[in-house]
Amino acid sequence: MAFSRRGVLVGALAGGGLALGYVLRPRSYPLPLPARDGEFAFDAWIRIGTDGVVTVSVPQVEMGQGVTTLIPQIVAHELGADWRQVAVEPAPVSGHYANLALAAKWAPLWMPLPALAPVVAATPASLVTRRWAEGEAFTVTADGTEIAAYEGAARAAAACARAMLAQAAAARWDVAWEECEVAGGFVRHEGKRLPFGPLVEEAAALSPPSTPPLRAEPMAERPGEFPPGAALAYPRLDLPSKVDGSFVFAADVRLPGMVYAAIRHGPIGRKTFVSDADEAAVKGMPGFLHIVRSEEGEAAWIAAVATDGWTAEQALTRMEPGFKVAGGVETDAVEAAMNEALHKADAHRIHSAGDLSLVKGGMPVQRGYEVAPALHVTIETTAATAWFRGGRLELWIGTQAPEATRQAVARALGLNVRDIVLYPVGIGGSFDRRLEFGHAVEAARIARAVDRPVQLTWSRREEFRAGLPRAPVIAVMAARPDTEGGVAGWRARITVPATAREFGRRLFHHDAPFDAIEAAANEADPMALEGAVPPYAIPNLAIDHVPVRIGLPTARMRGNAHGWTAFFNESFVDELAHKAGREPLSYRMAMLGGDPRLAGCLQRVAALSQWGGGGDASGQGIACHRIGEGRIAVVVSARRDAEGVRVERVSAVADVGRIVNLDIARQQIEGGLVFGLGLALGCSVRYAGGRPDAERLVSMGLPTLADCPAMDVEFIESREDPADPGELGVAAIAPALANALFSATGLRLRRLPFFAEDV
Amino acid sequence: MARLTINARPVAFDMDPRTPLLWALRDGANLTGTKYGCGVGDCGACTVLVDGAALRSCLVTLAECEGRVVVTIEGLSRDRSHPVQQALVAEQAIQCGFCTPGLVMNAAALLTANANPSEAEIKAALPNLCRCGVQPRLVRAIQRAASISRREETIDAAPPPGGSGRIPAMTTTFQGDTP
Repeated sequence: MAFSRRGVLVGALAGGGLALGYVLRPRSYPLPLPARDGEFAFDAWIRIGTDGVVTVSVPQVEMGQGVTTLIPQIVAHELGADWRQVAVEPAPVSGHYANLALAAKWAPLWMPLPALAPVVAATPASLVTRRWAEGEAFTVTADGTEIAAYEGAARAAAACARAMLAQAAAARWDVAWEECEVAGGFVRHEGKRLPFGPLVEEAAALSPPSTPPLRAEPMAERPGEFPPGAALAYPRLDLPSKVDGSFVFAADVRLPGMVYAAIRHGPIGRKTFVSDADEAAVKGMPGFLHIVRSEEGEAAWIAAVATDGWTAEQALTRMEPGFKVAGGVETDAVEAAMNEALHKADAHRIHSAGDLSLVKGGMPVQRGYEVAPALHVTIETTAATAWFRGGRLELWIGTQAPEATRQAVARALGLNVRDIVLYPVGIGGSFDRRLEFGHAVEAARIARAVDRPVQLTWSRREEFRAGLPRAPVIAVMAARPDTEGGVAGWRARITVPATAREFGRRLFHHDAPFDAIEAAANEADPMALEGAVPPYAIPNLAIDHVPVRIGLPTARMRGNAHGWTAFFNESFVDELAHKAGREPLSYRMAMLGGDPRLAGCLQRVAALSQWGGGGDASGQGIACHRIGEGRIAVVVSARRDAEGVRVERVSAVADVGRIVNLDIARQQIEGGLVFGLGLALGCSVRYAGGRPDAERLVSMGLPTLADCPAMDVEFIESREDPADPGELGVAAIAPALANALFSATGLRLRRLPFFAEDV
Repeated sequence: MARLTINARPVAFDMDPRTPLLWALRDGANLTGTKYGCGVGDCGACTVLVDGAALRSCLVTLAECEGRVVVTIEGLSRDRSHPVQQALVAEQAIQCGFCTPGLVMNAAALLTANANPSEAEIKAALPNLCRCGVQPRLVRAIQRAASISRREETIDAAPPPGGSGRIPAMTTTFQGDTP
């Protein structure tokens, strides 16, 4: 990343603190943080107070992934702060904090002509990407882009701050500032030292250096430095407030005179209506206040407002609202559409290599795999707090897409976007569920109707009824073995709705879910096939997308396309190994000459798990996968006993390049594996008349502590650029488990979730 | 009007006595540390102590709590110093933090009853659902909490709230008055 002198903005805080902005700004935008009493206004990213506290603004939402530690940690390291003096604050929505890495990645979703995306906007540095992302205040938290998007700017600002503090100290001591060292919260020169607090006022009066004097080494925690049981160098900043219940989620906001809303949604369908609701039944009910209905857009809902959330739910129960639905989702019809497309529809070739005559027509080995729609099943249900007063709508909400949320609310209420004030709060597990924001509009409409602050919380049942699942997928994998037992030709024909495009229509064009289906139908969607190109050296290759219109809106979910492509590839390659009579690990290794880092993960996981070859009903299964520049190899050990199949141990080795925070990376791998285990064993529903067949968490087959296998996670030491660890585990666990179950039982499971079939 | 003791204070609720304790705590008493995850006892996020026993507060009504002593996450310790709290932070067995209060209360009840629980006893005592996937760390964290309780080790992982000069608590920027 390049910096300019204008790039880092500096100013003074009330009481003599120092404030630095760390974004390049070719254009100017309204200041994201309003000046406090007697404060000079700055686009403050790092603020240093006279008390020495370093406050870092983080423009990404905390949902467990640790971003409110990672960005402050990068700042603390570059600045030379003591971790105990670092605080963190969520940044308001602003073009200052555009996530250029994600804007570039998602260019096919927001560009008017998706085909142009690779030509003009494929890089975060391109002017088109920057103009668009800043203009749209695109600060979406997704796809593990936080380090790629913000590390450079955070370091630059911190480096400038360090230089200015050093200059202030050097002036006092009458020495050259370059000879001063900043570490542990002090500026030092020979025997002298000064903490930040007394220096900031003088530092703030200085000009920032024209080039940020970055430290030689970026923040890195090397796995070798942290043996098991070693103390954490940078403990997470958010955990103390989470362990005593004081961390505020959207439903924990309390405002004067606030009331509570409960809601019932119509079925998922093309068009729904509230057909009846017995409003007389709630007349005079203590605590009951209002009914609010909405039939605007596709989806009807009815909400009850009361002095507490339980009374609001009871009021809805008493009213027994009924809905009429046209075009309600039917899983049988979805499956019929999938099967018809699989056999008849035209495919878009997403990727090809080599001699395509070798991947045409019937091939010697063909296998079909399926993935059923799955729900996110976050433990926090959807919630938002809203207050409509003085022509402005204030919104307390946990969202991955804050600006789109503001725009949707503004549109629904006929307000200007600047009159939608969004206060970001943390999310109780998202897994991309909070990229959707229809509930913000619901809360806003209710708030306008009741004329006082209102908190909307969806019941668990509504979460099942109105949350959109990840897409169903069917793949036909085909291969032509070569004479040495390797693979000469490989073809994947993947039938899946253009789910990424469909999501893009909802996020960027504000399409209603069924309009988004129409807009994206039959489009090639390479993002829905990410990860389909195997990491193996296979000379002749074809990857085809068969888009299908299924009448079920679909959403993003942690892992996204890798959640299915890894399952297809790694199950299939395992089948090919067995068919060739080869040991699954060495079969893979022989084809990984082009990716030594992935081969390294496999080798290491084999040692970690005491890989025994996966044969002889050992119950061991292996899989590996690559997401961008992140890599993982996983071995699952499963055992079949009288009570069914038990997953006993999961071993994983990941190579995610340089690691900013090792324990957070470990949490992300562990969490991804557990989340992926949930997807492999459950989280699926069937729809009839637009309603799911399950409405309780117990039906989801979620792993509990008692079911959870032991886990060993290790990392390859690397100086490569950081890659996101968050989705690797999700992708790799399902095929590793399928391969382990094959080893344990002789049964090849080709459908996710597994236990929809009989094991 | 149901009268009970919450976190060592007498409280009278002017709410329908059939209201589950969860909503009385959250919406009546503004004790929002106790979380709603399902309302039917599946997730464990709303676990509190009632007369010392870990109960899912969505399954017990205000009327049933009449005269009883309730401890919520806010009342477990004044300063996050309960061994379970310290150990969960030290082991970083927390991600999004939504299931955490319920987990803490279940684990606290376990340690009161059993100063040295086995792995199997810990697994049986913590049915809480967690989607972020902290499960691989929980057994170790609870065993560590147990050893702290037995005074076999001390840790100081979670600093007390209120900016004592150590790690400043996460700040949030709310406009308007929040009680």
